[in-house]
Amino acid sequence: MKSARGWISAGLMLLCVTLSGQAPQIPTAIPGQAPPVDLSGYWSPVLHEDLTERGPGSEIADYGGFPLNEAGRLWALSYDPSRVTLRHHQCEAYLAPYQMRALGNFRIWEEREEHTQRLVAIHIWAQTTEGHRIVWMDGRPHPPAWAPHTFRGFSTGQFVGNALVVRTTHMKNGALRRGNGAPESDQATLTEFFVRHDDHLTNVTVVTDPVFLSEPMVRSNDFSRQPVDPGAWLYACDDGEQILDRPKDYVPHYVFGKQPFAREFATRYKLPVASSLLGGVTMYPELAARLRSVTDAEANALFAPAAGRSPETSKGIDPEPRDGNIHIWPVRENVYMLVGDGGNIVVQTGDQGAFVVDTGEGTMSEKVIAAIRTLTDKPIQFIANTNFRREHTGGNAALGAAGQDPSLPGSFFLVQAPRGVTGFFDDPLKHATMMAHVNVQVRMQAAGAPAGAVPADTYLDDRRRKFHNGDSIELFHQPNAVTDGDSLVYFRRADVIVAGDIFTTTQYPVIDVKSGGSVQGLIAALNDILDRTVYRHQGEGGTYIVPGHGYLADEHEVVEYRDMVVIVRDRIKALIQAGATLQQVKAARVTADYDTQFGANTGPWTTDMFVEAVYSSLKAAPAR
Amino acid sequence: MKLGLTKAAVLLAFLPALAFNVLVDAQRGGRGVPAAPPTPRAAAPFDLSGQWVSLITEDWRQRQFTPAKGDYVPLPLSPAARKIADSWDPAKDEAVGEQCRAYGAAGLMRLPTRIRIAWDGETALKLETDAGTQTRMFYFGAPQGSGGDWQGVSAATWDAPRAPFAGRGGGPSSGGSLKVVTTRMKPGYLRKNGVPYGANAVLTEYFDRFDVPGGDALLVVTSELVDTENLMTPYWTSQQFKRENGTTGWNPTPCAAR
Repeated sequence: MKSARGWISAGLMLLCVTLSGQAPQIPTAIPGQAPPVDLSGYWSPVLHEDLTERGPGSEIADYGGFPLNEAGRLWALSYDPSRVTLRHHQCEAYLAPYQMRALGNFRIWEEREEHTQRLVAIHIWAQTTEGHRIVWMDGRPHPPAWAPHTFRGFSTGQFVGNALVVRTTHMKNGALRRGNGAPESDQATLTEFFVRHDDHLTNVTVVTDPVFLSEPMVRSNDFSRQPVDPGAWLYACDDGEQILDRPKDYVPHYVFGKQPFAREFATRYKLPVASSLLGGVTMYPELAARLRSVTDAEANALFAPAAGRSPETSKGIDPEPRDGNIHIWPVRENVYMLVGDGGNIVVQTGDQGAFVVDTGEGTMSEKVIAAIRTLTDKPIQFIANTNFRREHTGGNAALGAAGQDPSLPGSFFLVQAPRGVTGFFDDPLKHATMMAHVNVQVRMQAAGAPAGAVPADTYLDDRRRKFHNGDSIELFHQPNAVTDGDSLVYFRRADVIVAGDIFTTTQYPVIDVKSGGSVQGLIAALNDILDRTVYRHQGEGGTYIVPGHGYLADEHEVVEYRDMVVIVRDRIKALIQAGATLQQVKAARVTADYDTQFGANTGPWTTDMFVEAVYSSLKAAPAR
Repeated sequence: MKLGLTKAAVLLAFLPALAFNVLVDAQRGGRGVPAAPPTPRAAAPFDLSGQWVSLITEDWRQRQFTPAKGDYVPLPLSPAARKIADSWDPAKDEAVGEQCRAYGAAGLMRLPTRIRIAWDGETALKLETDAGTQTRMFYFGAPQGSGGDWQGVSAATWDAPRAPFAGRGGGPSSGGSLKVVTTRMKPGYLRKNGVPYGANAVLTEYFDRFDVPGGDALLVVTSELVDTENLMTPYWTSQQFKRENGTTGWNPTPCAAR
């Protein structure tokens, strides 16, 4: 030791050793403290298990070892792998559980707070689909139910013993297994364990999915540590036209029982037909005994919904807070989503008055107004309604009366307008201006809504536009979607689309045939949303879509919803063409694979009502 | 040795801390009177005992059913091993009473089975399977037995991660794995369709228990098989088991060659 620096180093080492006499010999499970295991470095997956699935892809109907419930099995059997030729499916990333099974390199690194060196997060980067997972280690809570979902979800972690335990929520709908349709829903949660044995890393994933699984799905993934940067980390993807001249309402899928390759897997490997379709039991030693008791009739029945059952109901988390409060979720820039009073409300703020889209049920309008006051000190200047329903117009009167439109006083428009006819208010400084498609006005007036609740600033054709608070705002009429007066409201600069009841994450679309709604119009409206969206990366992010009900979404949720409506329409259409009555269509359980997501047997909008709406709108105006 | 003023000051600054450390050690019982180390059973960082059922969620077809001859993707087999696998004949195995070839230690844990784990005294763990009615013994300390049977000789240790400040120079931290190294196995099959491993194979396994919040307890066995005679590279897999309450489902069956 030849220098003072050397002696200082020695002293520090001595101090470290000395401190060991004081400190308990336990690593911590407390967020923010030193990790008992270091996962940092470059890792390559060890592909000694499931290589065929993880490489070329899995075979149709190879669902053995997956505890799929009936909805999951039928969803998978309805799936056509060519669905990925559709533009909006081409670049979809992997969900977190499958991401860990992907080919390609992995890199793990720690993020530490600069001044304290507390562990803030562990980052996991996967080459395939450029999957970047962030595992927050600082004790932050998971987001609320109305927050956006992503393919990798929101993850928090803590160390328990020698393992990193990670909990992930807020994932999107996607594939539990790649290529053959085995689904995972947006209601799934993931628990993971990372444990390291020298230069080997084992990652255990436990997926719990009340929508598609009858019990948790457990898999493990192995990685070997790489000493140097393997250098390949990117995975470029842009969508494009893969098959030309297809109608926009075409979604590749198979009607129940018509998947032509459904028996190929069993035939090729000389397995019983039912062997991979029996769900949870396929994971256990009991499978062999179970197969001995399966009759041919029972095996064949697995390809279609079980007869005679009532529709399942949604297993999803209710995204409504129902706590008597209005919750604000920042969407982007100056656009916010307000949750808590029935339908979602959107508020845009700026140096002009607030622009509000929809007003909720109106049962908590005072709190809605108070929430808006926390976002801006300007008055509510404009209110736009996406449709006439009470969940979206119920607060019109209260929010309108709380606002003012300073652009009108003294204008020729106000002086000349026959207010008694148009419904504009005598004193615009005492009321916001409300806009909507004219059919909203007509239907609200016909329903006897008070004048102060009815939009007066209406448009008749396909588009209404307004530049406000520095953004270009457009209303696009969607003819005969869920009603005849639906509008999309598009904040162009913020890149946010407010969809109203054209799109929800919670229920089947409320197609109100009597009010001009139709399944074809709804599909066209969903496609119109998709014509305007641009994802940020690997099929997610970018344009945000505020649903009429449910969590803040992007194009992925809309395309899944569009697919669902198209698929259900096609099934009902096929039955109609075969001469089925409405009762026969209902008995066929044409929504069986979606009911655990969207189904309801009670309440204002049931599965039967949705099926009936599709049936009647198809009968009224047969689809192409 | 002559110290400069700076060096001496540094050393002096740390001396009280060193003295405190010695004092703490004395309060623990003193360095000169080492406490008896706990038995492996007492030192267990987690409880492995009980009945567990395998969850066959990977390589499902090859594990729940006997694959066809020649179906050995993606095993890193040597040319010699491929030749053996390609000549698999279960009837021959049956004829010579070798039905248990797929039930040796290197293949056993991947079969659909229930396992029971229990302490056998203070220094050994016993693992039984109902598939093939096999018993593995994991000995802490000196291995026992001469091997040469399906399950070979297994040496067990608690494999705890090293924490930099835990114990002087790095000692065990909380948690850890059960590490089992098995050698001297009778040559057997990695898969029921005759994919071979040899007498010189070395099987290293890590047993980890994970408690799923609000739910199941999982046992994950990460295994590495090194067999230069039959494998081009080490063969890594990880098998998961779910803990069961009680003994329901335990169904001892004899080995089957097919």
